[in-house]
Formats: sequence, structure tokens, C-alpha cells
Amino acid sequence: MSEATNPETPLVNWVLNGQPVQSPAGMTIFEAAKALETTIPNFCYHPGLTIAGNCRICMVESNRSKKPVISCSERIAEGLEIQTESPMAIEARNAVMEFQLINHPLDCPVCDKAGECDLQDYSYDHGPDRSRFDEEKNIRHTKELGPTIDIWGNRCIVCTRCVRFCDEISGTGELCVVERGDRSVVDVFPTVPIDNPLAGNVVDICPVGALISNDFKFEARIWNMRKTDSVCAGCARGCNVEVQSLDGFVKRLVPRENMEVNKWWMCDEGRYDYRYLLADERVTACTKDGEPVEDHDAHETLAHWLQDPGGTLGILVDPYITCEEAFLVEQIASHANNALVGGWKPADGTAQSFPGQFTISGEKAPNRLGVEAVLGKLVFGSQGHALRTALEKGQVSTLIVFAGFPHPDPDDAWVQAIRKAKRRAVFALQAGAWTEGAGLVIPGASPFEKDGTYANEDGRLQRVRSFHAPGDVEWSHDLQRLQAVLRIAGLRPRSLSSSAVFRELADVKKPFHGLSHSTLPATGAPLPGFIPLPVGVEGGSV
Amino acid sequence: MAHDHDHDHDDGPAEPKGPGLAERTYFVPLIKGLANTLHHMFRVDANTQHYPEQRRAPAPGYRGEHRLKRDELGREKCVACFLCSTACPAHCIEIVAEEAPWSDREKRPRLFNIDMMRCIYCGMCEEACPCDAIELTPVFNIPSRTRGEKIYDKERLLSN
Ligand code: SF4
Ligand code: SF4
Ligand code: FES
Repeated sequence: MSEATNPETPLVNWVLNGQPVQSPAGMTIFEAAKALETTIPNFCYHPGLTIAGNCRICMVESNRSKKPVISCSERIAEGLEIQTESPMAIEARNAVMEFQLINHPLDCPVCDKAGECDLQDYSYDHGPDRSRFDEEKNIRHTKELGPTIDIWGNRCIVCTRCVRFCDEISGTGELCVVERGDRSVVDVFPTVPIDNPLAGNVVDICPVGALISNDFKFEARIWNMRKTDSVCAGCARGCNVEVQSLDGFVKRLVPRENMEVNKWWMCDEGRYDYRYLLADERVTACTKDGEPVEDHDAHETLAHWLQDPGGTLGILVDPYITCEEAFLVEQIASHANNALVGGWKPADGTAQSFPGQFTISGEKAPNRLGVEAVLGKLVFGSQGHALRTALEKGQVSTLIVFAGFPHPDPDDAWVQAIRKAKRRAVFALQAGAWTEGAGLVIPGASPFEKDGTYANEDGRLQRVRSFHAPGDVEWSHDLQRLQAVLRIAGLRPRSLSSSAVFRELADVKKPFHGLSHSTLPATGAPLPGFIPLPVGVEGGSV
Repeated sequence: MAHDHDHDHDDGPAEPKGPGLAERTYFVPLIKGLANTLHHMFRVDANTQHYPEQRRAPAPGYRGEHRLKRDELGREKCVACFLCSTACPAHCIEIVAEEAPWSDREKRPRLFNIDMMRCIYCGMCEEACPCDAIELTPVFNIPSRTRGEKIYDKERLLSN
């Protein structure tokens, strides 16, 4: 990959499908062709793993060989002529497909991979429509490989992607291929289940439906789900994910490629942590003094509180609010005579690094940096302390709390402190210690339901999007609620979309200058000048 | 078109002549209609069927109410592959899958609802099914008292 971007790499002249082309030396035929927008089928090749060259579906015709060559491991060379669609190449791939399908159970109707399965796709292009194989198909094991992963051995094409993943990326090496010939299949060593923090990725990279995630098994068919590009909120790494949902329920998260952040992977902790969306404790309606009230009444009450805080106004933020929400918080604070804004964040965990250059951040919240970029670098530090001290001394009369932390893990000191405020409004994801005794409780949106931007631990600003279809959501997002409150209080003329709020933010906050939702690249953009980025990261500054 | 009458150009089409006296009294059409009625009343070759006492057998391939088929052991054949609901142009099939308790298959429907009021009886579901588990029967007289009854659940479909 890096060769491709290095201008020093000499170019090689070669011919692809009759067209003379140039590519940087050292690339494989497959990668060079892909860069030139010619795709060649592949099973065992994965850009993040070493080359195995065992599936043979990527065969192409070459002028340097009498027999077809595998494009995923042969490299380009001066004068090489490659045909990807010649009769010889197509016949070679057809033959590979026929072999692959000999023992395949063809159980696509009940296979959870159907719809995103490479074997299925290629059999449309290259597969014979009937089998010449009259003998009995062989049977391979269907069993649990670990707490989250099952193998349906009959479907395995022994590409070893999963084995290589465990060897090279997670570095845990639990998987191996057992048996020989057409009986070979993936297995774990006795007594060592596959149970590493990245295990879920093997399900994504399995090109067929052999590895199945227990969590998603039989939950939905791929083509029925709504897919939303967003960012995982499990830690400050901010892995890019696709949230796949059906009828307003999240069914699974899968990683999206972002070479700057998570490459092709994500961790299991983030992957399976979405059940809180459906928790019984989830706050779904506004309450005032414990009684359910209409949304509008709740917003009005809060607006009155803001107009007349009756003393000091405290705002307690957490690192789950988006940059746009933080900006509105700042607007509220700047209009109050006497306001204290402080932050609370969940306790740090341990950071984990893996041999495959993948890291899980020790910071277990998605947007500390973004909130700091808007509300000041000390918001979770001394500003937070100042707010807590004021609360403990009973000096805060009106307090607004953002409690978007998805797990009931109250920070006792804060919980005690917020009780001392004369009145308290909580934007809460879940009912619990934060909401107990609160005068006003307003449903908060989870990170998967927000629309805005998060900045990850490298200061990379990334877009989060709500997985709900427009009009599906029964409750509005925090950003809309905040704007409704501000409008009633006369602090904002009207409610705007999150992109428009971001534009206002970009106008006044230096790190955000020149950025906008529509121009933010799919891979995110580093907040310039805000924090130094690790050496070598493209676009890093200061 | 609607504006045609608003234009008062000289070269416009001439106003059509109004109906004549005979037509305006409706007398002649009335007699004609009555004659037609009487003709049919006393027709000897009437092919009216006295439904529901008399019933005509539906033509072969007639597409009526659905049925979920059972296998030799009396279990539903459906494996919850969702292909019928994918093929259905009316989006009226709702399926929720679960793990099958039997060793010979993995999946079965926990929920299988068809909204018969949305169904257009096209038969696409039957065509899409890889297990021959759903079919449209010739049953066409399927009244019900409430809308709720028109959403057929798995039990109802299996008992058809
Ligand atoms: S289980 Fe999947 S990824 Fe692993 S070898 Fe088999 S087909 Fe390849
Ligand atoms: S007959 Fe047509 S409309 Fe009715 S359920 Fe089947 S596919 Fe849907
Ligand atoms: S992709 Fe080239 S041999 Fe598998």
C-alpha cells in the first residue's frame, strides 16, 4: 500500500487487458489492477493479511506463463501482459468455482452470510448452474469455536483468512486448519476456544458463511437491513462502523475501512455493546417531578429555568455529547449571568495494542477531545472540579446534566454532588443514579442515535449518524431538544440541522475552521492545531 | 382542456348543439332500459349462479388464501429463509426466525404473519419458496369480522 503513495517508487510499464498501463513497482497484479479499477475475484486475499494464495479464484492469463497465474501473489513487471477476462482466465475461474461448490451445502436460504457472500456472488459469474458431482457430499463439523463464534464447517472453503487473522492481527493464534484434502476445516485447539478481544472480525472476513456470530445468528437477512455509516462510541479510538438495523432495532455493527483509524477491524467490546439501546432502564419519555409530561412542557420548563436560573447555572457535560451539542451548551452558558460548565467522564480502562497495529483506547468514551475543543481544554479537569466544589457547597441553583453514559456505573462523588443542586434537569439515556430525584428528566439519545461529529483520541473529527430512518424516531435527539429549549428561551431564533449548527461552530471555534459536514472526508479529518498528531500521520500539524 | 371554454376566439370550435327535446325528457332511454331489464328477467338461458347455495369450482391455478405446508412428520416445511417476504411486492409477509429444535434443519419461523388485506394474491411467495412450503389455495371466500383477523399467523396458515 505504502509503495503506491511513495513518489520515489519507480513505475513499471505493463499491459492490463490490452491497455498499456503504469503502476508502482512491487505491487501485485491484483492490487495494481484494483488501483486501475479492474477487480479480480478473490477469496483468500485480504488487504490486511499476508498473502496465502490458496484459493486460486484470482487466476488470470499472463504472457509469461503457459498456465494461468494467481494475481494476488504474482507481482507486476516490465512488459508483463495480463488478461483478466480472456477465455483462459474465465475457464480457470469457472473450474475453481466448480471445485468450490462440489462439497458446498448450497444452503444459502438459511445461511446468515447470504447477500454479502463472495461465494454466492462469484457463483453467479463463474459457477455452473448445476453440479456434475454425483457422489455424496462430505460432512464437516458444525460446532462452537468460542463464546461468540460458531463454525459451519460444510461451508468453509479453507481460505485461512480467519487463521491468518488470529496469527497476525490479534496475535492470539487460536485457529488452525485440521484434517486434509477435502475434509480440511477450521477448528480450535482442544480446550482453547477463540475468545480474544478482536474475535468478531473473523466473522466479517470469512468470505463465506462458515464463521457465524452467535449474536447475529438468524436475526435478520442482510438485504433487509438499513445501513448507516457511523462511529463506535465504545472507546476514544472511534472505529468506523456500519450500523445495521431492522425496523428501528440495531441488529449488528460491522467495521468500515478507515486506514487512519481502525483499518478494517473493530473490537468485540464495541461490536456487541449496543444492547443498552433496548435496556429496560432506557428513558423514553419526559418526566417532571416524576410525572410524565409532554415533550413541549418539559422543554418549556427547562427554558424557564434557563431564563431565570435563580443563582448559579451549572452544566455537567459528558464525553458522549457531540461537538454540535457542546456548542449549544456553550451558548446556554454564555447567556447566563453566572454559569459553571464542567465535565465528567467514565473511568479509564486499560489500552490494548495488537500485533496487527490495532489499538483499543484506554479512554472509554468517544468525544472527550471534541468537547474540549469546544468548551475548553480544562472542561474535564479544573472546570469539572470547580463545578463539583460549587455543587458540594450548595452554590448551584439550576443544574443541567448530560448523562449519556450507556452503562449504569455511577460515579459516587458526582452523584452525591448533583443531588445538592436546587433543581436539576437530566438528559438521560437510562434511568438510574443520575436521574433519581431530578426535577426534570428528558430522554437522551445514544451515540448511535445522534447526528453530529465526534473527535477521536487522535483529534480526528468523524461523522456520527443516527441509525433511525427519518420519521422513525419516537423521541427527538438531544440536539433538537436543546435547540427547542433555546428557542423557547429566546436564545436562538430557530432550530437547525446538525450540519447548520456545525457551520456556526466552525465559524467561531478555531480548531473547526474551514470544516463542514459536507466536506468532511469519509475517513474524517484531523482537527488542525488542536493536538499534535503522532509523527507520520498524514495531515498532522503543530 | 379545462380552459377550452374560457377562450372566446372567433376561430375557436363551434359550440356543440345541445340535446334535443327527446333526449332532455329521458323518455326514450327509460323505455329502452326497462326493456333490457325485462328481457333479462324472462331469459330462459340465464347462467346466474345462486351463490352460496351453488358454487363454481375455481379454475386450476386459482390463487386464493395461503397455506403453510407440513412435512411427513407434521412439522412446518418453512425454514424461515425470508425469500417469500423478499419477493412479495406488497410487503405483507412478516417473519421472525428462531433456531429449529430438530436435527435436520437449522432454522424455523417463530412468527409468520401474512397481512391478507395487503396481499395482492400474485403468488410470488409461492414461486420464490425454495422448500415448497407456502402455497396459495383455491379458497376465496375468506370473510372476517375485524381487520385483526385478516392478519394470518403461523397457526392459522398451517391449519389451512
Ligand atoms: S472459516 Fe471462513 S475465513 Fe476461515 S478458512 Fe473457512 S472460509 Fe476461510
Ligand atoms: S400472493 Fe403476492 S402479495 Fe400475497 S403474500 Fe404472496 S407474494 Fe405477497
Ligand atoms: S485470492 Fe489469490 S489465490 Fe486466493
